[in-house]
Amino acid sequence: MTVINIIFRVDEICKKYDKYDVDKQRELGASGDDAFSRLFNSIDTDIESVVHKAELASTESNRAAAVALNAEVRRTKARLAEDVVKLQKLAVKKVKGLTKEERESRCDLVIALADRIQVIPDGHERQSNNEWGGASAPNKNIKFDISEEDMDDGFFQQTEESSQFRQEYEMRKKKQACKKYIHLTFFNLTTRFQINVFLQDEGLDVISEGLDALKNLARDMNEELDKQVPLMDEMETKVDGATSDLKNTNVRLKQQLVKMRSSRNFCIDIILLCVVLGIISYIYNALS
Amino acid sequence: MSSDPEKMMSKADKMTKLTLTRWSADWRGATELYEQAANGFRASSKYEKAKVALEKASKGQEMQSSPWDAAKHMESAAALAQKLSIWNEVADFYRKASELYVECGRAQPASDALGKAARALEEVKPEDAIQLYTDACEILEEDGRDQMAFDLYRACASVYIKLEKFADAATFFLRLGVAADKCDATNSQCKAYLSAIIVYLYGHDLKQAEKCYNDCSQIDAFLKSDQNRTASRLLTAYNEGDIEEIKKVACSSTVNNLDHAIIKLARKLPTGDVTAVQMNAGDDLDEDDLT
Repeated sequence: MTVINIIFRVDEICKKYDKYDVDKQRELGASGDDAFSRLFNSIDTDIESVVHKAELASTESNRAAAVALNAEVRRTKARLAEDVVKLQKLAVKKVKGLTKEERESRCDLVIALADRIQVIPDGHERQSNNEWGGASAPNKNIKFDISEEDMDDGFFQQTEESSQFRQEYEMRKKKQACKKYIHLTFFNLTTRFQINVFLQDEGLDVISEGLDALKNLARDMNEELDKQVPLMDEMETKVDGATSDLKNTNVRLKQQLVKMRSSRNFCIDIILLCVVLGIISYIYNALS
Repeated sequence: MSSDPEKMMSKADKMTKLTLTRWSADWRGATELYEQAANGFRASSKYEKAKVALEKASKGQEMQSSPWDAAKHMESAAALAQKLSIWNEVADFYRKASELYVECGRAQPASDALGKAARALEEVKPEDAIQLYTDACEILEEDGRDQMAFDLYRACASVYIKLEKFADAATFFLRLGVAADKCDATNSQCKAYLSAIIVYLYGHDLKQAEKCYNDCSQIDAFLKSDQNRTASRLLTAYNEGDIEEIKKVACSSTVNNLDHAIIKLARKLPTGDVTAVQMNAGDDLDEDDLT
């Protein structure tokens, strides 16, 4: 076996068991905070699987199987093309903590991804395949197959280490899922809090303007009342004077009336008497 | 007594004329006749004649040493003259009425009479109106009733603004400030100072405005007020040539509490902004030249 063959075999093995590589997953996970990175990664893995399928299709001897695989590849390519459009929209969106250069690089990444999807062979181009095929001839022959004689008890035996390893991996996966959930809820809460604060600020502004108007009105009323105070005092003095004058006048008038009435009665009595005497004397003269 | 006003007028005239048979005029009777004639003329809408009758009635009352009634008649005559749009007579009659009120020792009605005259002449003869307002204010100030003069000061300043004599308008606002200071009317005082500053700024006179602001800042009442803050914001915005800030300050609630005329000026303020910005540029150049 040549060195190149060994290298290719090792790469294949690594690729197959990549999901167990904690550090690599953490690296991928760290950039998975926003939707763009997540989608990008999923599209990336899909592209790789499609490429793998395309390779299988090109080396497949069975024509029907090859056609089916190519059809599958084409279907997946179409789906991926749609996803790339979505990704482009996400790439343009502004994300917190992301610089302008990073955004531009994301756009470039999206374009590169689109190109990669286009390049995937889906049974239409056969010429370009040959070039690729020659270089990786040893690659394609690497198959992960399990023969019957290997299937004995010891083949799949799990050592302590490997079972521990598996448990650790599952624990880490659970922790990562938890962390993501917490981040999402925290983000929701902060956004809601900010919105509430903004609404409160607007309400307070309106209240402040109303209070200003009230303050101005109150101060003007205060000044107006201050103006009226000396006028009221003057009016009070004048009215007091007028009241006392009136009282005096009333008293005097009453006195006068009382006097006049008694003297008037007296005069009336005298006049009536005189009239009666006059009448009597007239009758006496008439009779005699 | 005949009910015909003309006849009453002629009769009353006869009573006041001195002839051989009449050695002294019968002012009491004549005044009564004049008053009745005036009422009759007013009822029949003969305002010119009613005005003449009232004039004579007022003269009669004066002769009878009752200046109050004389002043009242004069005011009525002036109102009729206003209806007839005989403007110089309006001014004269109201002035006469005011003098008679002063004779009675009643300053408020005197100034009121002059105020009415000024209001009537605002549109037609603004300079006379200003003179009348000034006289009215003086009468009140002499009598120590400064509070009543505020409205007159404000009206006078608005007439100046209409005539676009912004320096005079600002001066009147400052006089209003002085009057307010005497009565401890701090709100009116601060509003008057802010109005003066705005008027100076509208008249493109930034230096005067700043001087005015510095002077007013010496006064405690103004220093602690909202109007002071607004004025300082406005002047800072002008010095920096910040049009947005000027517009914001002009629409603030402090400015909205001032007189209508001043609010209108404040809303238009940024139109004088170009010069402010240019002045700033000029200043920078000067500094560069010196260094």
